[in-house]
Amino acid sequence: MITTAEAIDRLKTRIGVDGPESTALVEAGHVRRFVEAIGDPNPRWTREAPPTFLVALAPVSLHLSDAEDFGKGWLNGGNRFEYLAPVLIGDEITAKGRVVDVYDKAGASGNMLFIIFETDYTNQRGERVARLRGTMIRR
Amino acid sequence: MKLHVGQEIPELIKDPTTRQLVQYAGAQGDFYEIHYDQEYAKSVGLPGVILHGLLKAAFLGQLVTDWLGDRGTLKAFEVSYRGIDVPGRPYRCHGKVTKIDGGDVELEVWGEDPAGKRTTVGVATVQVD
Repeated sequence: MITTAEAIDRLKTRIGVDGPESTALVEAGHVRRFVEAIGDPNPRWTREAPPTFLVALAPVSLHLSDAEDFGKGWLNGGNRFEYLAPVLIGDEITAKGRVVDVYDKAGASGNMLFIIFETDYTNQRGERVARLRGTMIRR
Repeated sequence: MKLHVGQEIPELIKDPTTRQLVQYAGAQGDFYEIHYDQEYAKSVGLPGVILHGLLKAAFLGQLVTDWLGDRGTLKAFEVSYRGIDVPGRPYRCHGKVTKIDGGDVELEVWGEDPAGKRTTVGVATVQVD
């Protein structure tokens, strides 16, 4: 078990450094399974991806294993989606993510480690369609 | 669309089940065991399996897109997870208009557990036509 300071040192070197890109097709069947799972029968999702579908296209957080020597579990602190263009079925979306901040905070049951990351999503025409910012908490 | 600050949008009640958590884990590709393995969830101090934060975000996304229909576009959507939720209990999603600036409308959105605790809170920004 390492301390939050040690985990922060490891992750700090990653701040602002883009992780590897990943590209995925927005498949009709995948979107259908996703909307069935969230229980949203809106017929619009036969043409377009629902607001949170992007998280199913690519891993949303990077380098989290670097923090797993601290604490015993993960919590999702929050997510922010910014939408710039619709994501349609048949689109090919490239995701590129990076850690943007890492810090610790004292909690009721000891120190907690916060990792802030963001992912940019671009379609096959090179248009940025969305940005996701997320907070993962290790405790 | 006639809107005013303070206006509430129609409630959405979801009834998440453990089966749904497994479905969601598969559809998103998030196989963290706290969402389907009771023993594992308890070993990390949880009461049992819990809902994915992003599943609750999806519920709030549905709340907003159901209300908005084709009358506008969702521009931004932000959620904070303030508490855990377990399957087998209704999850109530609510929203309220907090700001109107021309066609830009901001809504406060939240999800409540059966005790009325807001375990997910957020903001949705939409552009109405």
